[in-house]
Amino acid sequence: MDIKISKENGVVTAFLVGRLDTPAAQETAPVFDSLKQDASGTIVLDCSELSYISSSGLRHFLTVRKAAAASGGKVIVRSISDDIRAVFMMTGFLNLFEIR
Amino acid sequence: MVMQSIDPHVEELLGQYRGLLHVFSQMAEVIPDKLKGFFEEAGFVVAAVEHRVKTEDSLKGKLEKKGDKYRDIFDITDIVGLRVITFYTEDIGKVASVLERLFEIDWENSIDKRKAHETDSFGYLSLHYICRIPESSYSDPEHPELNKIRFEVQMRTILQHAWANMNHDTGYKSGVEIPKVYLRNLSRLAGMLELVDDEFSRIRRELSDYRRKVQQLVASGDLSEVELDRDSFVSYLKIKPFDRLTRKIASINQAEVQEVDISAFMPIFKAMGFKTLGDIDKLVKDYSEAAYQIACFQIGLTDIDILSTVVAPQNLCTAYILKNGGGKLGLKLMLDALNGKSESNEAMAGFLLEECKDLPFMNQ
Repeated sequence: MDIKISKENGVVTAFLVGRLDTPAAQETAPVFDSLKQDASGTIVLDCSELSYISSSGLRHFLTVRKAAAASGGKVIVRSISDDIRAVFMMTGFLNLFEIR
Repeated sequence: MVMQSIDPHVEELLGQYRGLLHVFSQMAEVIPDKLKGFFEEAGFVVAAVEHRVKTEDSLKGKLEKKGDKYRDIFDITDIVGLRVITFYTEDIGKVASVLERLFEIDWENSIDKRKAHETDSFGYLSLHYICRIPESSYSDPEHPELNKIRFEVQMRTILQHAWANMNHDTGYKSGVEIPKVYLRNLSRLAGMLELVDDEFSRIRRELSDYRRKVQQLVASGDLSEVELDRDSFVSYLKIKPFDRLTRKIASINQAEVQEVDISAFMPIFKAMGFKTLGDIDKLVKDYSEAAYQIACFQIGLTDIDILSTVVAPQNLCTAYILKNGGGKLGLKLMLDALNGKSESNEAMAGFLLEECKDLPFMNQ
C-alpha cells in the first residue's frame, strides 16, 4: 500500500494505491493522522488505484472526515471503484462523503 | 463673507468629544461584542446588531439646536449608539432583559415608544435604553471614563426598522414639508407592518405549539396521528426507531456502530408514499426481518466490523421497494435521494437488486 500526498492551491490530495487492508491500515495510520492537520481545507482521497478497503481503512476515512467536519473543512472521495462503492453503501457510509 | 461664530459652550463640548473619541470608538467595539457573545451563548438569534459613533458634524448640529441642555459631554447619551434588530416583536423584550443583565440602565432617560402611541395612531414603535457599562462587566484602567459614558440601545423588529428607515428618508431629509396624504400613507404602512409583525409572531407561536403536540404524540406512541414532515421526523428520530434493528445488524459481525444523521430518509419515506409516522413504524415492524436478511448476505461473510446508523433505514427501504415492485429504478431513486444524483447509483441499484433477488424475504 502506498500513499502519495500532494498539495496544490490549498487542496491536499492523498493518492491511495493498492489494498487498504488491516496491516496496510496500521502502516498508513501516521499518513492519515498527518492529513488531519489540513482538516480546515479540502482533502481529496483519490481512490482511482485503490483495489480494496477493510474496516480499518474505513475508520481512517471516517477519522479524516470527523476532523474536517470539526474544523469546517471537507473531504472528497474521488474515483472509487464500484466494489469499494458497494462497501461504502453496505456499511452506510456512502452519504457521509462527497463522492466524485 | 460673514463667518458664523460657534457658541463657546458648544465649542467646549466638541473639544471634550474630540478628547474622548478613542473611548467612544472602543465602546462601539466592546459593547456589540458583549451583546453578540451573550446572544450566541444563549442560542438567541437576532437579525442584526448595528453600532455607530456620532460624527462631529452630527453632534455639532445637535448641540447648535440644544447645546444648553448639556453641562458636559457625559450628559449626552447617544454619542455611542447601538441598534438591535429582531425578527419577532416578542424578542424585543428578551433583548431588553439581556441588556438589563449586562449593563446599568438609566431608567429615567430610557423610552418605551411601544407604549407611547395613541389608540388611533400608528408609527415608530421602538424601545430605547440608555445604558452604562458596569465595571464588573468591562473596564480599562487607562480609560475609566468608559464606565461613566452612557450609550443608547434601540431595539426594534426588522419590519419596524424598515419602516423607520423609509420614514426617515421620506420625512426628514428633504427639508420640504410633507403633504398630509403622504404622512397618512406612511401611517397606513406602519399599521400594516404592525399587523404583519403580529402575524409572524402568531405563526411562530402556532409552530411551537405544533412541535410540542408532535413531541407529545410521538412520546405517547400515537404515531398514526402524526403527519410525516421534517419536524415530526426529527422528533421521531429522538425515540431511536431503528435502534433495535441497527443493533441486530451490528451483532452479525460484532460491528462498531457510528451514529450519523439519518434525517435524509424523510424525503425517501415521503416518496415511498408514507403519510404518517405510523407508516414508518409499520415499516420497521413488517420489514425488519427482510432488512436483517440483506445485511446478513452483504456483510455476514466479510470482516467488516464498522457500520453507520444509515444501514438499518437503508435496508428497510431497500426491502420495501423491492417487495412493492419498485425494482431497480426505485432503488436508484432511493440512492439518488440519499447520496445525491450520480450515474453510479444505477450500478449500485443493480448490485443491490442482484444481491437481494434470491433472499428468502423476496419469495415470502
